[in-house]
Amino acid sequence: MSATFWVWFGIAVYIAVGLGIALMARRQLGVGVSEFFLANRRLGGFVSALSYSATTYSAFMMVGLAGLTYFTGVGALGFELTYLCGMFMMVFFLPRFWLVGKKYGYVSPMELLSDRYQNRGVGATTAILALVFLVPYGAVQLMGVGYLMSGVSGGAIPVVVGIIIAVVCAIAWSSIAGLRSVAWTDAFQALVMIVTSAAVLGVVIAALGGFGAFFSRLEAASPGLLTVPTAGGAWNINMFIGLALPWLFFLISNPQVSQRLFIPKSITAMKQMLGGFLIFGFIYTLISVLWGFGAHLLLPGLENADLATPSLLALPIIPTGLAIVVMIGITAAAISTIDSILLTLSSVWARDIHRGFINPRVSERGELRVGQWVIPIMAIIAFLFAWWVTEQPQGGLNLMIAPLSSAASAGLLMAVPAIFGAFFWKRATALGAMVSCIAGAVLVLIFQITGWKPLGWWPGTWGFIVCIILFVGVSLFTRPPRDKAEEFIGYLKEELKKGNFI
Amino acid sequence: MTKSAWAWTWFAFLLALDIAIPWFVLTRVERLSGAFLFWTIWAAAAIISAFIILWKWRGVER
Repeated sequence: MSATFWVWFGIAVYIAVGLGIALMARRQLGVGVSEFFLANRRLGGFVSALSYSATTYSAFMMVGLAGLTYFTGVGALGFELTYLCGMFMMVFFLPRFWLVGKKYGYVSPMELLSDRYQNRGVGATTAILALVFLVPYGAVQLMGVGYLMSGVSGGAIPVVVGIIIAVVCAIAWSSIAGLRSVAWTDAFQALVMIVTSAAVLGVVIAALGGFGAFFSRLEAASPGLLTVPTAGGAWNINMFIGLALPWLFFLISNPQVSQRLFIPKSITAMKQMLGGFLIFGFIYTLISVLWGFGAHLLLPGLENADLATPSLLALPIIPTGLAIVVMIGITAAAISTIDSILLTLSSVWARDIHRGFINPRVSERGELRVGQWVIPIMAIIAFLFAWWVTEQPQGGLNLMIAPLSSAASAGLLMAVPAIFGAFFWKRATALGAMVSCIAGAVLVLIFQITGWKPLGWWPGTWGFIVCIILFVGVSLFTRPPRDKAEEFIGYLKEELKKGNFI
Repeated sequence: MTKSAWAWTWFAFLLALDIAIPWFVLTRVERLSGAFLFWTIWAAAAIISAFIILWKWRGVER
């Protein structure tokens, strides 16, 4: 039977298993907004850790990061591990989000900001920021799946068909039982991701003569890839900071992951979630980077970074069955990110836009219905964006997955000062939060579109600096919600001491 | 200094190393024992330090 048949067979098995898991999760589904979007804050540590890992790590890792490593070398490892080091901040933010989430019943991080700043405009501003910047990020995942399926099937599966498969699965996983189906399918997908990627890396390293020979060949063939800045100017400090800065704060800037800080059922589950994720992230990062180096050794001279993984999977040394399983693993990584984004955006729309502005008297049932309708709408918007990009004259790959992902993260970075202020600065104000978010995001968009980099600094770097200055400056000249700030931060101070948090 | 201040200081120190070592110390080391090994050990140190902190969280069930 042809490779195309086995590709379709693999996709069918993946969909069947995912659907089965999602339907099992539906049996546990209760009623209400908190149940649908947060699994009633009752998720265990193991599922939380795997779900957090699958949501965070997307097609970017085995496609974008591997491609970045292929072309630019070890700086890609530093960039991705800088993100993982940023997870150290979880020791501050995880207990804080979790405690106030339980006390005040927040459904979205935007609702937290609205309440803390006593101004629904803050929630709406950060919600719009998320809607604007998460759509391209979601579209990048869809493109990753499309190119991968097309590459592995030798073009028999058109890119757009791969994108449609990813969209349909993401809608199903997030609609069937809300966070329960997302988390359970995520857990399954995280295991698929790490097992398949480790297996195929093992095959590549074995083909290159084992770990010792692999590293020796790398040092001999491409020593420039093992240092920074590499030849040609890649990974100068400006590029490193420009790419790494938005990812450093990913844990709080991206609502699809910060919303997860509300869901562990206990402090023990919280510890398991963080610990499990850190181990997963470390292993998966090393696998993705070594995979990129492997591609460099086996397939020198590729013209496009994002083709490294599909091309490597198409080599005769990779058994067809394994290539298909890896393709499923990467597809799982992408879909587990998109479904979480869809679910979070739907909760943000329902709670912070619809209930916050359009219809404050909406019932809980009505709010939930709105959220459920938003899931397919957001999916279609992301699909159209991905389709449009892939239909560009020179193909979507000229946009490159890594820079597009980073551009989205740079926009979301603009919410970070407001989030820090909410937890750590009583003097912070709603106007400071809104002005800094809007001005920073506009600046990032302008710099991104024009390609302008004054002093060589990247859009996210400039946006973040301006954002911090405006947040502090405007806050100092406006009136803070003193009572709420005292209550909010005072409550945390007391509870943090009880749990021996820092 | 409070425990929180120590933790923030440690985090800032890690970030300073993230730039300083690869760009100013290891920039001519074109071997696996250069930036690759540094970043691997550096990330492991960050992870271990996070584990040390979260190990002390009290498992008070609510």
